Amino acid sequence: MAKKPAPRSSKLSVYLYVPNIIGYIRVLLNCLAFSLCLRNKIIFPILYFFSFVCDAVDGWCARRFNQVSTFGAVLDMVTDRISTACLLVVLSQLYKPGLVFLSLLALDIGSHWFQMYSTFLAGKASHKDVKDSTNWLFRAYYGNRMFMAYCCVSCEVLYLILFYLAENQTETLADVLSSNLQKITLISFLIGTSLFGWATKQIINVIQVCTWFIYACIF
Amino acid sequence: MAKKPAPRSSKLSVYLYVPNIIGYIRVLLNCLAFSLCLRNKIIFPILYFFSFVCDAVDGWCARRFNQVSTFGAVLDMVTDRISTACLLVVLSQLYKPGLIFLSLLALDIGSHWFQMYSTFLAGKASHKDVKDSTNWLFRAYYGNRMFMAYCCVSCEVLYLILFYLAENQTETLADVLSSNLQKITLVSFLIGTSLFGWATKQIINVIQMKTAADMCVLYDIDKKHKH
Repeated sequence: MAKKPAPRSSKLSVYLYVPNIIGYIRVLLNCLAFSLCLRNKIIFPILYFFSFVCDAVDGWCARRFNQVSTFGAVLDMVTDRISTACLLVVLSQLYKPGLVFLSLLALDIGSHWFQMYSTFLAGKASHKDVKDSTNWLFRAYYGNRMFMAYCCVSCEVLYLILFYLAENQTETLADVLSSNLQKITLISFLIGTSLFGWATKQIINVIQVCTWFIYACIF
Repeated sequence: MAKKPAPRSSKLSVYLYVPNIIGYIRVLLNCLAFSLCLRNKIIFPILYFFSFVCDAVDGWCARRFNQVSTFGAVLDMVTDRISTACLLVVLSQLYKPGLIFLSLLALDIGSHWFQMYSTFLAGKASHKDVKDSTNWLFRAYYGNRMFMAYCCVSCEVLYLILFYLAENQTETLADVLSSNLQKITLVSFLIGTSLFGWATKQIINVIQMKTAADMCVLYDIDKKHKH
């Protein structure tokens, strides 16, 4: 005799998972932040950084309350990509050459997109589960969650610092960086430490794009 | 007795598929276009539009020469998303309020990302193979390839026209649109016809995002249900 199926959870219950509600709050925080970013240079970094903190919190909540969901993971990824993209857009308006930030935007979107595809095609659970990569930097990055977190946070911190330092609409990026690195201040320390993490993340992004190009034709 | 496996085509041959070579040309065209977009307002739209034409050509070539590849499809999709994103970034610098173009960028990336994900989860061949949606606009859009093409082309045409019309860095979008729509010129005709297709595409993007999100949720529910 067929077993009576258990009642199916409603779609709504997944949409109301605690981590997903945090996800919606992140989206609203970002909308608010970017709507006033050019008018209020203090509030914007605070809202943006708070949204970034929520990013870590909702992952923790999902595991703590057993409310991990595919929808939540995708919402998280999309919110990350779009908020980073918008911040890079703002920086491309505040600094010359704007093309640098446009390229970083292209690299961020392209590398994550390719990586999503590779993950699916290879049947891995998450793009962070890389066990068989032969590249040492790749393994160092994905094998060590603290290092990975440091690199991701570095990018956001560097971009927010650059936002904060821009005085007018036509700063030259090289000038601002060099003048701030020559002094010994908290800012120069933050720039120095985050530059390394940022550079690592961008190299990882490039490797991900190359990995796609090398392996995609297998599928 | 085990059958001897057919020799595998070399990896290199996929990279050299005609449509994929067109794909590389598209990437180069876009890099060139965006590197000079703020300096040369005539060349940029030409290069960008030519890259867009190549987008259609490489799909045709892939089917014609039987050289369809996952690599090519993804390269195509990523090139589309990044080139549209960069064009919207440029428009956000040329027009006020820049936030409109930032929002369009967010919608474009968000809706396509969710759609890509749900396509994989549902095992469909392509996000364009949607046959079971109950939304009439969805069915009209995906059921009719000409209409779909018209909507996609409209977006690019509208953005390129806006790029071309911007005189200085602080144009107000509403002013430029209304002043051009009041005259009877080729440009106003193009704006009028592409506005409808653009609007349709944006509405489709929103619906797609919701449908794809639902699919992600249903995927988890189905998985739990099976255990």
